[in-house]
Amino acid sequence: MIPDWKLERYLTGDLPESEMREIREMEATDEIFAGRVKMLREDNRAILKKMPFERLSEKMEARELGSGRGMNGAGNVVSFKFVKIAAAAALVLAVVSVALFSQREIGLAQSANDGAQVMDVAMADAALTGDNAFGEASDTRIKGLNARMEVWKKTGDSAVQLANLSEVREGDEIQLRYAVPEKCFGMLFSLDGNGTLTMHMGDGSQAIALEPGKMTTLPFAYKLDNAPKFEKFFFVTSRDSFDVDASNLDALLKNKNVNAVSVNLRKVEGK
Amino acid sequence: MKGNNQADREKMSGLYETYAPMVFRRCQYMLRDESEAQDMMQEVFLRVFDRMDSLDLSQPSSLLWNTATRLCLNRIRDKHRRGLDVDSSELLLTIACADEEDDSFGAQSVLAKLFSKEPESSRTIAVLHFVDGMTLEETAREVNLSVSGVRKRLRGLQAKLKNLEVK
Repeated sequence: MIPDWKLERYLTGDLPESEMREIREMEATDEIFAGRVKMLREDNRAILKKMPFERLSEKMEARELGSGRGMNGAGNVVSFKFVKIAAAAALVLAVVSVALFSQREIGLAQSANDGAQVMDVAMADAALTGDNAFGEASDTRIKGLNARMEVWKKTGDSAVQLANLSEVREGDEIQLRYAVPEKCFGMLFSLDGNGTLTMHMGDGSQAIALEPGKMTTLPFAYKLDNAPKFEKFFFVTSRDSFDVDASNLDALLKNKNVNAVSVNLRKVEGK
Repeated sequence: MKGNNQADREKMSGLYETYAPMVFRRCQYMLRDESEAQDMMQEVFLRVFDRMDSLDLSQPSSLLWNTATRLCLNRIRDKHRRGLDVDSSELLLTIACADEEDDSFGAQSVLAKLFSKEPESSRTIAVLHFVDGMTLEETAREVNLSVSGVRKRLRGLQAKLKNLEVK
């Protein structure tokens, strides 16, 4: 008797060739088994007819737009590529790692049309992280709730926890972990050097309810793309429900009712 | 970090056409409810879609099967915790409600769980072995662990669930 799981793999063609051949022969010679396979193939067609890909596609679009439900996973881009925020993002890195970037770069950013807003975001960010000019990390410092976030990078068969301003490269696999000391609402997102905000944990742009306890590892890792300069991770919590307006991150970070932890990773070239 | 584009959609369409029936039947078998299974099947693919950039899609059947298993176990457990009726076998319910073993394994295991190619949870492994009837070797292949690794995971769970016996 072929178990269900193996029969499913036979139908999708995912068994090793020797097993595929063996079962094909059985289908050709065993009428009862052939009937079972035939029934499943008919079932396949019925399922796809009843639940066509288009239905899933609609939900995929909804997720991309950040309006889908159940977005408690990661990797949902909140489509956020405003020039202003890109400039702000560049300045975030400039401000928090003064020793690593030239005064000229900062001066250019400050002279941008949106300099005031950019500076606000940058300063709010610096205050939250407590980064200093020497790149010494205080990445888990927060106000109020003692929430924690850890950022790990895969290295061969192992993994290494990244401190603030650690170097990362395109293609690095990053994993996030967090813990909160009491029931609260929270979200995890990152901002990259292109100004793209990526939600890793949240319900669209809404924070989700979090339970206190041990460190929780997000179910999936993330591969860094080629965004330049930095990738900054934020873990924002609050006793009350809240959301993030992707076009006004500054407002969230300055909100006195939320607490934020951040870890800023420096993007360097090369793989 | 991630850009869902047309290529991703085409890839998803291909995955869906090939594997949606399998995933749906898996969900229906575990949840015993057609409507819930439909929702769950879509959720499985949406999870994959959300993480296409970081997932290893070289074995989509294993990935989708195990993802469906894990999400269905979570659904069963959540319903049970809320006191809702759960139409599942006693064995499936027992596994679904088992505590995970994070505290009982070493740091290396925790590190291994950090990444997307991480070994599946012990609960999922238990379903593959005890419910689906995979041998230890088949289970190991399915979840990219050694046989001894699978046995260790199952014994960790077994310590909490006395009615499970590693074959």
